[in-house]
Amino acid sequence: MKKKVLSLMLTTAMIATMAAGCGGGSDAGSSDAGSADAGSADAGAADAGSSDAGSADAGAEGGHTLTAWAWDAGFNIPALQAAADDYKANVDPEFELNIVEQSQSEDIENAITLAGSSGDYSTLPDIFLFQDHWIQRYVADYPDAFIDVADADVNWDDFSQEKLSYSTINGTHYGFPVDNGTVIFAYRVDLLEQCNYTIDDLTGISWDEFIAIGKDVYDKTGKYLLSMDGDGNDLVYMMLQAEGGSQFKDGKPYIVENETLVEIVNKIVEMAQNNVLYLANEWSDYTDQTIVGDMVAGVMNGNWIIPTIEQVAENSGKWEITSMPTLEGGGKEGYASNGGSSLYISSNCQNAQLAKDFLAYTFGGSTVTYDGALTNGGVITTCISAGESDVYQQGVEYFNNTPIYAKIVEMGANVPVVEQSDYHYTCRQYIAAAIINIINGADTMTELQAAEDQLNFEMGN
Amino acid sequence: MKKKGMSVTSKQHIAGWVYLAPATALIVVMSFYPIIQAVITSLKTGSSANMQWAEPIVYNYTRMFQDKLFMRSVGNTFLYLLVQVPIMLILAMLLAQILNNKDLKFRGFFRTCVFLPCATSLVSYSLIFKSLFATQGLINSILVNLGILEENYNFLGTAGSAKAIIIIALLWRWTGYNMVFFLAGLQNIEYSVYEAAKIDGANGWQTFWRITVPLLMPTIVMTAIMSINGTLQLFDESMNLTSGGPANSTITMSHYIYNNSFGQGVANFGYASAMSFFIFILVAILSAISMKVGDKRD
Repeated sequence: MKKKVLSLMLTTAMIATMAAGCGGGSDAGSSDAGSADAGSADAGAADAGSSDAGSADAGAEGGHTLTAWAWDAGFNIPALQAAADDYKANVDPEFELNIVEQSQSEDIENAITLAGSSGDYSTLPDIFLFQDHWIQRYVADYPDAFIDVADADVNWDDFSQEKLSYSTINGTHYGFPVDNGTVIFAYRVDLLEQCNYTIDDLTGISWDEFIAIGKDVYDKTGKYLLSMDGDGNDLVYMMLQAEGGSQFKDGKPYIVENETLVEIVNKIVEMAQNNVLYLANEWSDYTDQTIVGDMVAGVMNGNWIIPTIEQVAENSGKWEITSMPTLEGGGKEGYASNGGSSLYISSNCQNAQLAKDFLAYTFGGSTVTYDGALTNGGVITTCISAGESDVYQQGVEYFNNTPIYAKIVEMGANVPVVEQSDYHYTCRQYIAAAIINIINGADTMTELQAAEDQLNFEMGN
Repeated sequence: MKKKGMSVTSKQHIAGWVYLAPATALIVVMSFYPIIQAVITSLKTGSSANMQWAEPIVYNYTRMFQDKLFMRSVGNTFLYLLVQVPIMLILAMLLAQILNNKDLKFRGFFRTCVFLPCATSLVSYSLIFKSLFATQGLINSILVNLGILEENYNFLGTAGSAKAIIIIALLWRWTGYNMVFFLAGLQNIEYSVYEAAKIDGANGWQTFWRITVPLLMPTIVMTAIMSINGTLQLFDESMNLTSGGPANSTITMSHYIYNNSFGQGVANFGYASAMSFFIFILVAILSAISMKVGDKRD
């Protein structure tokens, strides 16, 4: 008898487990969404002061609450928070923005891939931040995840056209620009002074002159004048854009026959071989070892790199910024833009009108939002009228009290529009690999040809 | 209600099937169904939101042989396999032989020490090796201070040394694991066999090659198959230790498959599934070969 009871209990337990397992499988999508929201509810609640993190997605129809995904608590999230406060104070007192922090931009990309692959878009938030260089690829691959915002009440002419060229797909606007990717070249003026240079000596110069100064600085101070992530080498893109060129021509890779690109690659190799440029093994080495680890006397990247530079408190007041060198030099300054992101509305948004109104009012050109974003997160706008605000004219202590924000906005207006491609990062990866091989002694044209072949292969050309 | 017409044997048969049914159902749902789905996926291309049948149907399978990067990842994986597996198995066998010595003091302690690396997770040991061999890392500091290196060497940023470090890391992680199998195998060899050999005048070397190795053959075959299988699917070290770099010179097949399916902005699941089947076939072939080679039955 006892045995029968025992076996009955075991059987019941087994069936219950199986049922639970299968049940979990069938609605995995929704339980994922639930746990994602619940897991980050802390961040959301802390940031937005909202307590209904889990229920924000559902039942928002006609409500005043939106959920937004973004990354970087020191940069993008303060900007979103500033926008939420602005909208709440000036438009809708009941408005709540529930910001869910993601650890990196890739998390949002993966979430969209997952939603698109499973065909279940209910896991997506109302609004999400997305990297500019990836957006065209994702809209092409997962058109159902995004909604177009062409009818939003925004004066699109008030934005930098270079920035809008990412989020405008087939002539339709999909995103609201957040930050500004204008490239800055920041130098340690104290170290330059030790070698008898001023920041003006590094403005409007050619890359050859830059290399000469770089060698001098390395000999005298032991610091590299430039560093970059070797596997994700953005130098080619930035230097090429400063010349008005692109790695793509009519949608096809334009590498081997692109003389400017070849010359730029040669310059990069020369810099690396002469201790002017340090190529880090990966991104975290680039930021933590070379910049925060104080290995360099110069940093060239999108201006979102500024918070990284500012992490070294003891170097406050020793940095200043200027434009990029160019191939030609002789007073010609280089302008480029790298990275940055925009806000998009997902197809899962139950209250698209509210989302559009919110984004159009705030990131569409509200000075209050952009001033808050700049003061709290250092986020610089691409909105031309908002960039004229007084906050932008103030000197920044870390950068020797120079008004760097006004300078960046000014430089941003000069960035040439170049051909963009869905395959931006793939191209970057192959050219970066080619550069590493060339530095190690391989033939330049053979390596670039291999990069172009591999890229063509991947693009299916 | 009892079915009187049923014989004892058929009752036993039915009971057998009933007991097997839950496990079978689970295996079908959890393993066989995904395998079939993967075959179907491997014949499709396009965005994962809207996959189409490939044109021609074997497009993904022919594509991989023209993909230089995939071929490089195959080459890297085989390099790891050919260099690391033999060294590791010989080391493991020698260590097992030493630690099997009855006169050795603190045997348990040493065995634990050799086995301990297996208790670390793959990701954490990869990260530890990465920081050890970083340009500003411990190994560089030691070598520079000892005067062996003049300036810090970028171990993980140079193709040759990055590959060597992956192999060293693999040896550190897996030798102890295989040693345990050899130790177990050695326990099964009768001590009298060794005594007999001793009486016949065999020295240590001869005993090892003529007695230990042949009697350990089943264990050797098993560890070889497991190591080949494991190395062909090598992922964590490539992913975490070198990120496949520099310039994709250390990337493994599994890492490349991962990049194609979950790498940023790609989600090329069709192609990734096709490459996975390529690895599956490789594992099957290599395991078959090592089983044939190790099979000494007449």
